[in-house]
Amino acid sequence: MALLEVEDLRVAFGAATAVDGVSFTVDEGKVVGLVGESGCGKSVTSLAIMGLLPKGRPGKRRKAEPLQVAAAEPVGGALKAAVPQSVPVAGRGRKDGGAEVNGRAAFDGVDLLTLAPSAMRRKRGRDLAMIFQDPLSSLNPVVPIGRQITEVLERHRGLKGDKASKEAANLLDRVGIPDPARRLKEYPHQLSGGMRQRVLIAIAVACKPRLLIADEPTTALDVTIQAQILELLKDLVDSEGTALLMITHDLGVVAGLCDEVNVLYSGRVVESAPVRELFARPTHPYTVGLLGSIPRLDLGIHEPLTPIRGSIADVIRWKDGCAFAPRCDRVAEPCVAGEPALVGAVHAHRCVMAEEIA
Amino acid sequence: MSTEPVENAAPHVPAQRTEEPDLSVQETDSPEGASAAPQERGAPLLEVEGLEVHFPIRRGIVVERTVGHVRAVDGVGLKVDAGGTYGLVGESGCGKTTFGRAVLRLEEPTAGRVRLGDEDVTALKGERLRRFRSKMQMVFQDPLGSLNPRHNVDMLLAEPLKVHGVGSKAERRKLAVETLDAVGLPKSVMERYPHEFSGGQRQRLGIARALMLRPDLIVCDEPVSALDVSIQAQVMNLLDELQGEFGLTYLVIAHDLAVVRHLSDRVGVMYLGKLVEEADSESIYEHPRHPYTKALLSAVPQPDPEIEANRERIILKGDLPSPANPPSGCRFRTRCPWAEDICAEVEPEWREAASGHKVACHFDL
Repeated sequence: MALLEVEDLRVAFGAATAVDGVSFTVDEGKVVGLVGESGCGKSVTSLAIMGLLPKGRPGKRRKAEPLQVAAAEPVGGALKAAVPQSVPVAGRGRKDGGAEVNGRAAFDGVDLLTLAPSAMRRKRGRDLAMIFQDPLSSLNPVVPIGRQITEVLERHRGLKGDKASKEAANLLDRVGIPDPARRLKEYPHQLSGGMRQRVLIAIAVACKPRLLIADEPTTALDVTIQAQILELLKDLVDSEGTALLMITHDLGVVAGLCDEVNVLYSGRVVESAPVRELFARPTHPYTVGLLGSIPRLDLGIHEPLTPIRGSIADVIRWKDGCAFAPRCDRVAEPCVAGEPALVGAVHAHRCVMAEEIA
Repeated sequence: MSTEPVENAAPHVPAQRTEEPDLSVQETDSPEGASAAPQERGAPLLEVEGLEVHFPIRRGIVVERTVGHVRAVDGVGLKVDAGGTYGLVGESGCGKTTFGRAVLRLEEPTAGRVRLGDEDVTALKGERLRRFRSKMQMVFQDPLGSLNPRHNVDMLLAEPLKVHGVGSKAERRKLAVETLDAVGLPKSVMERYPHEFSGGQRQRLGIARALMLRPDLIVCDEPVSALDVSIQAQVMNLLDELQGEFGLTYLVIAHDLAVVRHLSDRVGVMYLGKLVEEADSESIYEHPRHPYTKALLSAVPQPDPEIEANRERIILKGDLPSPANPPSGCRFRTRCPWAEDICAEVEPEWREAASGHKVACHFDL
């Protein structure tokens, strides 16, 4: 049994559907990539798994209900930043910006989506943890970083006082922060971007979680710092056997880090395969288009790029046909004749024309 | 007439412009028109010598004292050929953006000289500088932040022309439509506002606005880094096309080595306010000579699992030192895997290691 099994996950904010039936699995100790461009639903997928979306009631239309405060526990700036940007809440939808989450996300056999908030709180941070893109807004600016690490240790491992501080220093040392004892007393603004990301990673791995979700962990960082962080993540995964769900837009990061890849477009997986297979034989035109859009260091200079035309705004609903059809160069009649299914087992794709194209 | 302010000159020459509204606009109107016109490719259009931008660090509440300087740009010189593209790479805080702004006199240089065509940009003042700005434009990183949200496309594109007193309202509109067409946007967007566009379209608008005055030089500061991968490629291809169509010279500032390599003929690598290496884009990627360039190149994740599995990464230790107090000798020595004693004592000279390949390092790596 896979460690994490996501099945037909759907997330809607009022009239806007962010995730439209995403399924994938993460096996114990594996690194799985969730790739896509902004608005494809990759961040919302991760927030849904972590139970960090403001709750809405599944399957019910909301009308003139009094404005209700979201039931989810406060999760700080990261959530606020992530949700409304990627998913514009339609005017007539829920006023509180709540999400309707449907489907299944089984962690070790337990469906996280139906778990009581208190049980979820016990799991979150201990069994599964998350690293966000922007470390500055995910850390509390007025609390020393030492306290922010010991908080997790206290809550989940019952460590207190000196023991907790010592363990926090160990963790900082583990993620490669020099002079950890001194750093514990510092505030987030005193650290550089790379250091802050290391602190976030230290907090995330404090309880040796079995699954780590990293949402664009290196996007805000410089290339040399990105290399440091990727190396650190790789090292943690190798030595602790932690499974990693890596959410990114960077196919380069995927190529270097992931074992398996799921490519998302408009809220659905359009292609999934082991990493080497995907790069050797990209099948879905979107994956092909993404690879053709990246300027590469190993190819000839001034080799022309073959971009994907249009933008993600040119979209049709999945139930009417392939959402990528309006931007696809190989679009044909069957593409818009109905819902395309995900076919194939190891290397799966959602393209009805795949046979003809190949 | 050539000495008159452009505002007055403009209304007298419309007949000519309606026939050939493209490049004639600048030449006929601007007193400096001829001086910085596109030259034969190969001759340098932009020459920068020893450019320095130091920002004072001030302390004190009532009486401010200057307690030091942030040496954002600390002696950078380069040449950009007319019709060519120079790519300036470096990580955040290396001074590349400040350099680009100082070239355009958006930041006042502390020392050094910038020459565009035959004009010494650093010596220009007041009205002459203001008018000369039509020759050099900028494309910014954040297309939403650099477009006034309360102006529609018509107003946004006409503004630079208004400021420089070019054409009548109808002519400005005509030029705007032509420029929109050149950047791949339909005429129908003229009444729309920035928030109605996607990121890629906004960047097209930003480029269109920079093109409105038909400049000679465009400084592109991270032109694609805010965009999605598939859109990045569209905008890069567009920049390529426009260069041929309008005879543009680009200074591209970016942190992404692959983007810079794709766009540029010549590449300069900046570290902590100084150039550490400069060469043709081919040789700098094939044979990087400076340890920093090597590390940068090895750090870029490649979209190919085979390459990723076999590559040797040079992982740099630590972070960028403070530009207010740069390390002695070679500035890179605190993070350099090959550093020796001499690196702390003597600043390496800017030398030509091979033909057209300059590097600031004591060693031949």
